[in-house]
Amino acid sequence: MLIFSVFKTLTDQQVTVELKNDLSITGVLKSVDQFLNIRLDSIKVLDEARHPHMMAVKNCFIRGSVVRYVQLPAEHVDTQLLEDATRRGRCTAKTMTVTKTTIALTVLSDLWRDAQSCIPTLYSTIQVFH
Amino acid sequence: MDSAASGIQEPFDLIRLSLSERVFVKLRGDRELTGVLHAYDGHMNLILSDVEETIMIVDQVEGSANGQNTVNIAKRKIDMLFVRGDGVILVSPPLRT
Amino acid sequence: MASLQGYVDHRVLLILQDGRAIVGVMAGFDQKSNVVLSDSKERVYSMDEGVEEIPLGLYLVKGDQIVLIGELDDAVDQSVDLSTVRAEPLPPIRY
Repeated sequence: MLIFSVFKTLTDQQVTVELKNDLSITGVLKSVDQFLNIRLDSIKVLDEARHPHMMAVKNCFIRGSVVRYVQLPAEHVDTQLLEDATRRGRCTAKTMTVTKTTIALTVLSDLWRDAQSCIPTLYSTIQVFH
Repeated sequence: MDSAASGIQEPFDLIRLSLSERVFVKLRGDRELTGVLHAYDGHMNLILSDVEETIMIVDQVEGSANGQNTVNIAKRKIDMLFVRGDGVILVSPPLRT
Repeated sequence: MASLQGYVDHRVLLILQDGRAIVGVMAGFDQKSNVVLSDSKERVYSMDEGVEEIPLGLYLVKGDQIVLIGELDDAVDQSVDLSTVRAEPLPPIRY
């Protein structure tokens, strides 16, 4: 959920997506979903002479599962905010190893946490609730 | 320092304590990264800054047996990088250099 | 949501996990990004000859197999003489 939120805050920014078939595509991030599928506008393939396959493609949908890296615009990433959100977030396997008696409580608190973290622009305010 | 004192109870705690530190990441496809860790999740998706990537390219020498291979190393730097968790083999805590 | 809705009835290029490139008109899709293409053709790239187009007709591609779906700019696509294009086929996805 955290990474999904990060990508949502980067919509309309230029990113470079490197795929597991070694294709690198630069474009404007238009949208992202919970699978980290990505839509890019105004795309440009790196080394177009070698990869003319996408010459006539102006925008595309990339399946999240084939992404190796995404190069992000550093100036639009608040690293302090990320670290705080990561520490606070449900980032461990704990929720998979809880005993039955604690499940109910965990689920409740996770629901509350998810409800907050669904709103990416407000994730700096989450600490108010904690 | 025992595990209780260091606050490490499970593997992900090791990564949590590496936040904002330079980490070493080994990836599938003969790739390695070092970079400052800013975020991760349960899939081991990572966000790193000031990244140096090292790619090892093994060239099989024509018509030769094993041991004749040459390894070419390509390096590059990336300011801010999201790494998809399915390619991650290991994350190692801060490099003390 | 990174939806495929905007691509319906548009000519698209699909790149698959095994490196194949297929063009066609997107007739429909679902939540798992399974895609139905009408009037589809595979484009086979090689360094020895121009691009060969193999007609496939109505095609259903499983979402798992899809790497990328690109909307084709028809004017640009038709201005390219595929018989002059020489390129290596795209590599397959590894792992």
